[in-house]
Amino acid sequence: MINLENISFDHCIKCTVCTAYCPVSRVTGRFPGPKLAGPDTERLRKKNPELLDKSLIYCSNCKRCEVACPSDVNIADIIQAARCSYLENSFRIRDFVMSRTDMVGGMTTCFSSLTNCLLKNRLIKKVLELFIGLTAKRELPDYNKRSFRQWYGTVKARQHRFKEKAVYFHGCYVNYNDQALGRDVIKLLNAMNRGVIITDEKCCGVPLIANGYLEKAKVNAKFNIDSLKSAADNNGMRILSTSSTCMFALKHEYPGVLGIDNTSISGRLDYIMSYINRLFEQDDIPVLEAMNITAVYHSPCHLERLGGVIDTIEALRRIPGLNLKNLHSECCGISGTYGFKKEYYQISQEIGRELFLAINKIKPDIVITDCETCRWQIEMNTPFETVHPVTLLARALKKV
Amino acid sequence: MKKFETRVIVIGGGATGTGILRDLSLRGIRCVLVEKDDLASGTTGRNHGLLHSGARYAVKDIISAKECIAENMILKKIARHCVENTGGLFVELPNDDNTYFEKLVTGCRDAGIDCNEIPLNRAMEIEPNLNAEVKRVLKVPDATIDPFRLASANTLDSMEHGAVVLTHTEVVSMIMDQGIVKGIRCFDRLGQEDIEIYGEFVVNAAGIWGQRICNKAGIQFPMHPSKGSMVIIDYRVNNVVVNRCRVPADGDIIVPGDTVSLIGTTSKMIPLEKIDEVTTDDDDIDVLLNGGEALIPNISKTRVLRVFGGVRPLVADTGDTRGRDISRGIVLTDHEERDGLKGFATITGGKLMTYRLMAEKTTDLVCEKLGINRKCETHIIPLPGSERETLSDKQTYKSIPETVVGSTRFRHGERAYRILKGDRKNYSLSCECEMVTSGEIEYAIENLQVKDLVDLRRRTRLGMGPCQGTLCAYRAAGIFFETGAADYENAAKMLIDFMEERWKGIRPVLWGDTLREAEFSYWIYQGLFGLGNLVKETKGRGEGVVVEEEY
Amino acid sequence: MKYDCIIIGGGISGLTCGIKCAKEGMSCAVITAGMSALHFSSGSIDLLGYYPDNTIVHTPADVLNSFAVNKPDHPYAKCGPDIVMEALNFLREELSEQELELCSNGNNNHFHVTPVGTLKPTFLSQKSVFNENINQAFKKNTTISIINFKGYRDFNSDIAAVNLKKHRLFTDCTITSNSIDLQDLQGAVKEAIELRSIDISRIFDKDENLHEIAERLKRAAGDSEFIGVPAVAGLENHKTVYEQLVDLTEKIVYEIPTLPPSIPGMRIDRALKSRFSGLGGVLITGDRIIGGTIVNDQVTRVYTKHHQQEGMTARNVVLASGSFFSGGMVAEIGNIKEPIFGLLVDYPKQREEWRSQLFFQKPAHPFLSFGVRTDENLNPNVQNGPLVKNLFCAGAVLAGYNPISEGSGGGVAAGTGYYAALQAKKRCDDIRKGNE
Repeated sequence: MINLENISFDHCIKCTVCTAYCPVSRVTGRFPGPKLAGPDTERLRKKNPELLDKSLIYCSNCKRCEVACPSDVNIADIIQAARCSYLENSFRIRDFVMSRTDMVGGMTTCFSSLTNCLLKNRLIKKVLELFIGLTAKRELPDYNKRSFRQWYGTVKARQHRFKEKAVYFHGCYVNYNDQALGRDVIKLLNAMNRGVIITDEKCCGVPLIANGYLEKAKVNAKFNIDSLKSAADNNGMRILSTSSTCMFALKHEYPGVLGIDNTSISGRLDYIMSYINRLFEQDDIPVLEAMNITAVYHSPCHLERLGGVIDTIEALRRIPGLNLKNLHSECCGISGTYGFKKEYYQISQEIGRELFLAINKIKPDIVITDCETCRWQIEMNTPFETVHPVTLLARALKKV
Repeated sequence: MKKFETRVIVIGGGATGTGILRDLSLRGIRCVLVEKDDLASGTTGRNHGLLHSGARYAVKDIISAKECIAENMILKKIARHCVENTGGLFVELPNDDNTYFEKLVTGCRDAGIDCNEIPLNRAMEIEPNLNAEVKRVLKVPDATIDPFRLASANTLDSMEHGAVVLTHTEVVSMIMDQGIVKGIRCFDRLGQEDIEIYGEFVVNAAGIWGQRICNKAGIQFPMHPSKGSMVIIDYRVNNVVVNRCRVPADGDIIVPGDTVSLIGTTSKMIPLEKIDEVTTDDDDIDVLLNGGEALIPNISKTRVLRVFGGVRPLVADTGDTRGRDISRGIVLTDHEERDGLKGFATITGGKLMTYRLMAEKTTDLVCEKLGINRKCETHIIPLPGSERETLSDKQTYKSIPETVVGSTRFRHGERAYRILKGDRKNYSLSCECEMVTSGEIEYAIENLQVKDLVDLRRRTRLGMGPCQGTLCAYRAAGIFFETGAADYENAAKMLIDFMEERWKGIRPVLWGDTLREAEFSYWIYQGLFGLGNLVKETKGRGEGVVVEEEY
Repeated sequence: MKYDCIIIGGGISGLTCGIKCAKEGMSCAVITAGMSALHFSSGSIDLLGYYPDNTIVHTPADVLNSFAVNKPDHPYAKCGPDIVMEALNFLREELSEQELELCSNGNNNHFHVTPVGTLKPTFLSQKSVFNENINQAFKKNTTISIINFKGYRDFNSDIAAVNLKKHRLFTDCTITSNSIDLQDLQGAVKEAIELRSIDISRIFDKDENLHEIAERLKRAAGDSEFIGVPAVAGLENHKTVYEQLVDLTEKIVYEIPTLPPSIPGMRIDRALKSRFSGLGGVLITGDRIIGGTIVNDQVTRVYTKHHQQEGMTARNVVLASGSFFSGGMVAEIGNIKEPIFGLLVDYPKQREEWRSQLFFQKPAHPFLSFGVRTDENLNPNVQNGPLVKNLFCAGAVLAGYNPISEGSGGGVAAGTGYYAALQAKKRCDDIRKGNE
């Protein structure tokens, strides 16, 4: 029997609209555009899997093509799957290191001062570029001294005392690089009388998929689904994530790219701002103090694809005095690990240029975006502090 | 009026006609082929492209089965680039007559067809989309053959051996003198010119249209047109040929063909006057989709690209007129013997599978009549494009996308090297569904008897993909004129002809994404281009562009 | 999420409706699943181009009344001709707020040239397609040079030139064709083999290129007074680009539409979306409405792919989901349905009656006019169910008109979208009065 879920390419009308909105083919002719790399060649690959054009490795998986598509074709998923089969048999140390965000994070957190110092050293970065193709032009994120999970131990008992609780899938980034965001989540939800539970988790798998390690990604996916299910099942809790990309993977890429059934948790998954905004709309709002600052909001590609941008905007509008400016929706260019690679660095910077110009023109007090890699990209290319919307809400909480 | 002489005149540019032309020219005989439309535009281009192992005939018609397996082996060697050696399965479904399986195995053994039953899990591995409820599966050496490529390669080889090919040239009358056929009078539709061709022998290989040719020679030669309809699915849903293991009936085979799959076939007798405009009825489509659904569930929920029908030229002097029961054997008629008319023979019956054998028998007869003593070599010498054993040196085409290299090689075999050269701009895609480049279009126009966009489609698959030419037709029209192959005056008409030709196949399956695609296409070609405003009535190809006077 | 009005579909009709709602002070959201048909359009807005007998309408504004009287089921008859004209003026004004100027030939149609060199009647065109200078030049025997860009295959200047020359109005004109290369300029995609409309528009959008482009166009055009180019002269900065090109070339510059994606259509798309967001409207992309609940005669909730549980609520819902292409209607082997609410759709059962025998036959294929049947307020019925009073249908999802054979797509989209907004506003006001 033909699995109709796997043949969205069959719906492509060849209208070519996706190509007009692809940030990568805007800056390089090496990428033939989503239509050609996705549905067109997928159809050929059904005839012969070897008809695989290596140009598809230039896809950054930003999914703007899917947002533009009038035919509901999972263009980027198709490209990701094909890209995996292309990359499958080649072991490249950089991609290995970059895709193992949990393993590398775990190791580096142990020696964080050392690694932070080393990663800032130009010479070392040059060596990394030469040997493993990590671009020297990027600033790499700092690794925290203590992981979020280690810190969580100190507040764990209190979280369980709340009557209402939610499970938080913190992801690698919060755990190793930005535990402040994790703390803000707890601060905000606690202020809304909700406890935050964490459970065992592995990397969501997005970097593994992007680098062609499909089998490893499947193992992680299964682990996460089981673990989240058993944690959330207790009180029918919602499962939250502060990363639009992790959430996209849990919700869509597990079944769509990895072919893993996520129905046991899919009904409970919420990007955190959707969860918060839903509560806000039921007038379940903590007391927020006026901020009187200008903030610009950059909507990350994967959140656009999730249709979740509206929740972030609506929730932030509750902060009194906040002058929120919504930027014209553009890709920042980083797309996860994509912009960290030497061969894509230029492309990545070109893609983001319009966005950086727009932010610089406004000169905001702060930039808000939902995605961790967008934050790196914006902080590196503009002089402004860039935070997650949860952080802004946490800052607006009335000081007790 | 143009006049010229040759030795042998072949009428009909299908597989048989082009096969005879090749056989003649390989034997060093000067020859001319006349085709009223385009190569493979008749029955040849309108079948499911199955390279029979013979198994489908093994139970009922052992002679055909033996012919098939013999030709199957030959074509896999000489027409390597037209054949895809997929293999085939016969599958028995729960309610099928369970005695047929044994009969089939016995029949295959008797005919020398290598077959073996395979375990169900192995069958599902080979064909993951197969109905999971299959009872038994028999593996047979079926394969697929591309009839357009086959006719084109035969023509190309003939021309490289000195033959002359006139397409879009219709026979008007036979030139006869005292009971001897001396040649033909024909009309070149594109050049709008009369032509007289004199020769020592005329071969009528016009298939079902051969009856009309016989009439022009004053001979009655009754044929029974049997219509077969097929449905094309947007993409390859199966890897191997899937046959229903039962007495041959409607909708019992799914053949993968290049980028698509075809569900075949129905069989209906039609009156002779209907052979030029074959239409497919809604009930034929239902039968085919239901049949397909039994073999591969959900196939009817994928996009049906188009339907088409071909007319089998069955000859039955016995008076039996029930399509499937008439023998599909080869009928070679020497009209000197049958009707006392010298210098004229008709070859008909048979099937695409045995085209080479039909050509060999016909050419043997011609040689006998002309007193030439040369043996047939078409079973040994590979067709142009199929010369070498392997099709792999990817390295040669390093800068070109693999998809383009793969598709071009698939279509032109070894001749791809003549296309995949020159500067990179030659690789710019015109047809993005089937990966047809400007370079390939130029090559086809120069070498493969392409006169308009419809011909181009048969030679390159341009416009055969999901968008059915919406994006590529306009682009390709541009290349046509840039290369000087046609003048700009005809641009609009050529586009209209192409869209109308496409529409014939789309029209009966207008639902789902096919309808969405048609709407898109109409927005572009009528809404945006206003192309339909250029003609008051759509006449035949190349005829009658009338600009509206209003405004 | 609760709004005064949720609009399903972000094409001309959905966005016109959204902008009108927002201007009337209503809270509204437009949910759009993928890009609209504007991307495949000429970028001109048709009002009424052809009479039923296929002759050309020259004065659409004048004949609209009698047209509506003769076709009581036509969307024009439902909105009323005055509202249609008001809507087009509204659309024009809102677009000009976004620096996109639409021009008309008074109350008459004008012609625009197509990529195959035919002429089509239309009502509103962008300034680069119709303005007073162009109009004057077309009236005399002018010299025209149609210029394409190297590597761009979705427009062919030769085909356009040859056919245009054949036209009665142009037989005395000198029409030549030529091409220039822009690939060495700023913003050109590096290493590109094939160029698409969007790639060239980005080269035009770069300020620093304009002098050079103008210089090359001028050289290629020689003595011609008139330069025809494919419609790729800038997307984001089109207004400046066009004005500068006219100034720098000192010629009349004219844009001809191309194969998709249509840059003129994208200009309208961008302008309408910016306008809508600027007025405080919420634009939701990347999500699609998958269903709704109707209780008695009211839509109570709509659900999206990503908000399947809680859904969204609104006082009014406008269905501007487009035709088959956009998913507003779905055709199956034996039936046609409206997939979101299961509304009553007008169509013949026999598939044969869905289309014409020839592709280019006139009148155009019947399926183009299939759609949701509504009453005079644009309220539809559920299949075998009641009239839904807070649901309004607009644009291509409507039955009763054939956008292509009538040349009425743009007018119906804008007219019904605008009319739906007025209806929604009226309901909101009534509710408010009821509450007071």
